[in-house]
Order: sequence, then C-alpha cells, then structure tokens
Amino acid sequence: MSLPYHILKVCGGVVFAARAGSIYSFNSDLEYISAWEYPVKQQQQTKGQEASATEQQKESSAADGPPTKRRKVESSQEAAPSNGSGDAEGAGAPETKPKKKGKSYTTPTDRAFVQGLYSTTDGRHLVAITGSDKTIRVFEHDGAGNLRLLSERQMPKRPCDIAITPDNRTILSADKFGDVYGLPLIESEDGQWSKETSAAQQKSRSATPAASQAYKPQANEFTVHTVRNRKALENQKLVLEQRAKEEKAEGPQFEHILLLGHVSMLTAIAVGTSPKNNKPYIITADRDEHIRITRSIPQTHVIEGFCLGHDEFISTICIPPLRPDLLISGGGDDELYVWNWVSNQRLSKTDLLKEAQKLAPEMAKLAVTRIFATRPKQINKKGDENNKSDDHTLVFVICERIPAIFCFQLKDSETTLQHAQTIPLPNGNNPLDVEYLHSSPSPRLLVAVDPNSITTSSTENTTEPAATTTTPSLRVFSLEQGQWHPTEQVIKGPEPSTGSSPEESNPITVQELQKILYTTESLRKTATDFE
Amino acid sequence: MGRSKHNKREATADTAGDKKNKRQKREDYRTALRENGSTELPRKKHYRQRAHANPFSDHKLIYPPHPELMNWSSMYPHYVAEEGPADQAQTDAEVLPDRDSEVLKPKKLTQDVEVADIGCGFGGLLVALAPALPDKLILGLEIRVSVTQFVEDRIKALRAQNEEQKLYRNIAVLRANTMKFMPNFFTKGQLSKIFICFPDPHFKARKHKQRIVSTTLNSEYAYVLQPSGIVYTITDVPDLHEWMVGHFEAHPSFERVSEEEQEADPCVTIMRTETEEGKKVERNQGKKYVALYRRLEDPPHE
Ligand SMILES: C[S@@+](CC[C@H](N)C(=O)[O-])C[C@H]1O[C@@H](n2cnc3c(N)ncnc32)[C@H](O)[C@@H]1O
Repeated sequence: MSLPYHILKVCGGVVFAARAGSIYSFNSDLEYISAWEYPVKQQQQTKGQEASATEQQKESSAADGPPTKRRKVESSQEAAPSNGSGDAEGAGAPETKPKKKGKSYTTPTDRAFVQGLYSTTDGRHLVAITGSDKTIRVFEHDGAGNLRLLSERQMPKRPCDIAITPDNRTILSADKFGDVYGLPLIESEDGQWSKETSAAQQKSRSATPAASQAYKPQANEFTVHTVRNRKALENQKLVLEQRAKEEKAEGPQFEHILLLGHVSMLTAIAVGTSPKNNKPYIITADRDEHIRITRSIPQTHVIEGFCLGHDEFISTICIPPLRPDLLISGGGDDELYVWNWVSNQRLSKTDLLKEAQKLAPEMAKLAVTRIFATRPKQINKKGDENNKSDDHTLVFVICERIPAIFCFQLKDSETTLQHAQTIPLPNGNNPLDVEYLHSSPSPRLLVAVDPNSITTSSTENTTEPAATTTTPSLRVFSLEQGQWHPTEQVIKGPEPSTGSSPEESNPITVQELQKILYTTESLRKTATDFE
Repeated sequence: MGRSKHNKREATADTAGDKKNKRQKREDYRTALRENGSTELPRKKHYRQRAHANPFSDHKLIYPPHPELMNWSSMYPHYVAEEGPADQAQTDAEVLPDRDSEVLKPKKLTQDVEVADIGCGFGGLLVALAPALPDKLILGLEIRVSVTQFVEDRIKALRAQNEEQKLYRNIAVLRANTMKFMPNFFTKGQLSKIFICFPDPHFKARKHKQRIVSTTLNSEYAYVLQPSGIVYTITDVPDLHEWMVGHFEAHPSFERVSEEEQEADPCVTIMRTETEEGKKVERNQGKKYVALYRRLEDPPHE
C-alpha cells in the first residue's frame, strides 16, 4: 500500500518528504535516512473501531451537541469564511479537540496529511502543519536528517500556510478565517517570548488588544498621567478581560498573539525584507485577490500597502532568493504576476495558460499550486561549488492536475519571467511538489507525483484503494544541455512497519485521496447570492 | 435588528407564488421610478430585504481589482475631470504597466471621495451630510442590494428635485462588503472621515468576528484614513459601544477624541439625529453613545 509523498523540503543536504501525516528524510543521493511517523494512537485504532467511534460520539454529544451538529461545524470550518452560508457560524463555533481515543474516518479530512513543511534559515528546525488536526509541529533537526518532536500546538483555526521570521524566533500562522497568529518557534518556560513580543508590539503607544494569553497591559495606574491615558488603560483592560473570557472558553493554552487579519480566507504568507530599509514585512495573500503588506512584529498594526490586480483567488506567493523586492504570485488567473512588493507595483504578467494549452489545447482555466524559486549554483570544472552565482533565478511552477512542471527564468536585470521549458511528467502523473537539489556535477530536480493520476477521468468515482503498484511517487530529473530529463532513479522509501500503518488498516480510496490532494481549484468563487 | 423576526414570518406566510408576485411588483415599481427620471422619492416598502447579510459569504459583488480602476464618473457625474491625455498615460505607467489595463481605464474625477459612511442603510446620514460638507465627495457603502438601490434612487430624486441649487451632487452610494473590499475602493490615506453608525450589534460572542469594528479591521480603517482623519461611531447598544471604544482605544493607530472636541463637531449632531436608526432610537427614547477616534501618524519604523 503506498500513499504518495506529497510535500518536499530540502534543508541543508537533507531532503524531507511528507507522506500522509509522516515525514521521511533522505540524503542528497536520495537514500533513506529516517522517519517521524504520525502517532498512530491519535490517528486510528484498528480493532474495536465501531465501538470507540460510538463512544466518542456520545462524548461529543455531551460536549458540543448532537454529532450531526458537530459534523456540520467541522465542515463549515473547512469551508472557511468566504465560502458559503454556514461559515459565519463556524467562525466562532466551539472547536473540536483532537480525539484521544480511536477515531473513525468519516470524512477525508480526518486523515492526517502534512499540509506544509518549513525550515528555519539555520536548518536546525523543521516545522510541519497538518490540516486535519489544525496542529503546528516543531522538530529539532540534527542536520543529518533526524527529527525530534519539540512541540505540538493546535491552532484555534486551521492554518493554511506559515512563515518563520528572519530571526527564527516566531512562527507566523495564517489561517482559514483570515487571521495571522504569532507563536514562538521554541516555547519559553517563563513566557519570555510573549513578554518581549507583546511589549514590543505596543511600544508605539499604550497597547494593542491583539495580544492574548500572557499579555499584560504595559502601562499601569502608576505610570499613567493624563486622564485620556488612564481611560485608554481602562479600556485596554476591558478588551483584555473580554478577550481572556473568550480565550478561556475556546482559545489555546500556549503563547500566541493575534498579529493581523483579513476578513477573507488566507491562502499564503511570506516574510520579505525590504532592500530599502532592511526591515521585515509580512506579506499575506487571500482568496479575495488581495496581497497585503504589513510591517512585521512589533508593528503589525501598520498596513503599508496592497498589491492589487489579480482577478481570481491567489493561492501561492514566492519571494525569489537574491531578488528580495520581487514577489511572484499565482492562483486562479491565467497568468503569473510579478510585483515589486515594496512599492506595491505590478511589474509583469506571464501567460501560464498559454503554456498549459500547448499540452492540453482544450484547457480553459488553471489553478497554480506551487511557485518555487531557486538560485542555481555555478559549478566549476573540478566540481567544486563556485561561490559566484549564476545571473538568473529559476522558477518552477505547478498547476493542479496538469502533469507537467513549468520552468521559467528570471534574469537579474529583468522583472519578467521567461519560459524556459515545460517538463511533461512520465505516465501523465500529476505533480504535487517540486524541490531543487544543488548537487554536483549537475543539479537535479525532485518531483513528488501522484501515481494514481494516470488516467484522466475514470478516477473520480472509483472507490478502489489508491494505487498499490510500484509506480514511484518521487521522480528525479537531471539537467542535460540546459534541459531537464527524467532519470530512472528509484527512491526506496521505508517499508511501512506492519500493523502500525494507518493506510493498512483503513485503506484510502482514490477519491478520498484526490479530495485531500487537490483543493486549490475549489478556491475559485462561485456566485451565490442571497437574492 | 428587531426586523429580522418580522421578515421571517412574512417569508413563511408567503406561498412561493405570492413571493414571486411581490418581487415582481417591487421590480416594476423600481423600474418605473427610474425610467420616469422621476423626482418622486422612493418608498422604503418597495425595497425590503432581510435584516442581515453575511459579510463572510461570496456575494455577487462587483468591485474593482484596484482603486485606480474604480469608475466613479457615473456616480459623481458633475465632478468628472476634463481629461488630459498626458496624465492618463502617466498613471498607467506608474500603477499598471500592462497594455490591457489601458482599455479599462476609467474617467477621473476632479477630486477624490473623502468621506465614507460604512453600512449606510437607507442613506439618512448621506443626505444630511451633503449640504453640510458641500466641498467633499461623500460615499455610502452598503452590503444589502435593495437597500443600496433605495439610496441610489433617493439620491437621484433629490438631485432632480434640487437641480437648480445643484444639491446632492456630492453624495453617492455603492454596494460593497466593507469588511473585505475597502482597499479595492480607496487608496492609502484617501479618507478624512469614516462614519460607522448603529452597526449591527451581533450580540453572541461567537458572532463577534462579524462585528464591523475589530482589532484587525481597525488596521484597515487606519490604512484608508489619512493621519488626523476621524472615525465617528454611534450606537444605542452599551455593550457594542464599550466594544468599539475598547478596540479603537487599544489600537495603536487611534486615539479617542476629547468630549469638547466631539461636541463641537457639527457632524456629530447630524450623526445623532439624521440616520434612520438614530431616529428610531429617538422615537423609542433610547440612549445614544457617541465616540470619535483620531488616526495617529504611524510610528517610525524601527
Ligand atoms: C443597523 S444598520 C444601520 C444603518 C445606518 N447606518 C443607520 O444608522 O441608519 C447597519 C447596516 O450596515 C450594513 N452592513 C453590515 N455589514 C456590512 C458590510 N460588511 N459592508 C457594508 N455594509 C454592511 C447592513 O446591511 C445595515 O444596513
């Protein structure tokens, strides 16, 4: 039984690849190193599943109403703020806590699937988000591919994307309800992070109600002098009390601060450093076509500007390395956009649909799922890495259900993406993620593919278990004379240890898997009005 | 508020046929009103709609992708600038260098909209502000379609009635979800006044995210407001008043305006007496809570 690897992250010389809820590591020769497996006890229980499921329903009916009601809440949370009519209910509805007991897979989203892998700039920590349990996990990475779980934090709402601040201290988590929370990468015992961060957040004036949990008003009755200030302080306390009440009811018990928010569903977040003033900014993108530029901590109340012009949802954004003032964005539009995010100007548009139509002429729309930019290293004859970088950035793009990788070049003096190559994937498999290996003598491209996507249409309604064939789900491409070619390299992942594999006891159907892996096109708006 | 219950009853009592009939009648009435170019003021009963619209949903909303692409000219036809082709070309180059946007480029106004009434309802405040702020362009934003239509027809009639005095040319209304799309209509620092009058209270804690004042939305109000611009709030719900005061006071971009300054502001008097909700509260002898907040300069970026 094999589920595909669907998320990739290169960290130093190590490749991390997520499969379902677990994370596997490989060295630069793509030999398997080790695994962190998603805890089985949380995920499933092979025997007595029926019984425990009923028991659990009983539990939950006592806690949050009849099971049907609860399921509705869950699904409306999936739908998030800008999607349909039930959502507003979901916005503040009681959270369903992770179940400690056995769990039956009633909905596909109950399955633990890593939704994103991120690493700190020093490569010492890896962060994973999982949608089904809304949890952010931080791992210590020994630099050799071995992970040690440091923390698991369940967010109030499902995170869609995260970014890590350049100082590697804070995780910025963007959620489906439009909010961005800051939380410490490493939880401090004495709440030092909260103290420093919230203190910094309000230095500009008395306070912001954005801080939660460990936040205390900075000024106190003794430091306040004017009447207005005193009133401000009182109000500040009032907001905090209100907030504390709400937090107690449903908020998480770890340090976290609400930093900013859209009313639209967030889809992507990045941190950019402006070459103009060397300051970090938080860049957030949403389903309602907005890209927002906000000052980073401690001034996240200041919105600096918006990059506006997309006509459809945005699903992913990317700041190319060594081009810190540029931002590439994509989503439901036919084009990729290149912006100067510092000045909020759009610099260029690149027609991606045109390229896709060369593969499938009938294609009418697309949904970009990944934009990945890297700087190729120049390797000299001896095979040593030459510090001098090439004069361009490579940009790799994936669109949902299009079996190809689109490669673009971004020359240093330019702001337009030049199409370099469209790499069709063997067997017509859909790509799920792409990574670049700066290996010598020549670089390689690593692509996670969905081996179940061989046939085009018949897969939709099949309830067959997902592919059990040996079709590899990790593909390697090598560069020959400036063109990428598939290699026959086979990556041997670990054999799932018998009895502990969730796939084994509760096989996933193709249909279910597709629902989990292909979610981007569903961000497109359907006109539903109340009239 | 109290209206929603009533609406529900009305809706269930109606058979589907009746409903269609009624809708048709309203439609006919509105079309007739518009086609006659009439000076007759519209009547509210023909513009009924449920009391609440969900601000998180996808409405069939029309909004420009970028404020530069907003066409204001049909809303403020008396303020359309004679265009110099030179500055036209310049803005294109600055903001949207692509060829395709030139085609859509709307006509410019001689001045920008500077005052916004968020959730303007039936437009009482707009109508009263028009002569009070004669040299400002004032815009009402409302999420409910027929309410917006009512205000539109009301302004049209008022302009026609006051053709000679050239009144009501500086007000207009727009259907918009302000919680999502303010930055699509207004550029940074474009507004000098924002009115938030008798906003829907959303009493239940789990509905607080729907409130039109919140920590995160206040940052957006700060974005569209120029430094020393003012947010005006009024409500008859003490809890909501406290909520709004708390969230604005605690937001680093705002400070509360002193009571003397507040009471000296003529807009405050208008806000107290001229909105439809304000009048309703007056009739029920309810209390009104007013608070104003000044947009502070952004702190130096440290
Ligand atoms: C209680 S009424 C007050 C109307 C008016 N300001 C008055 O004082 O008479 C609140 C209005 O805000 C509108 N509204 C609520 N949320 C909105 C949103 N997100 N964008 C625009 N209007 C909104 C409602 O449709 C409603 O007409």
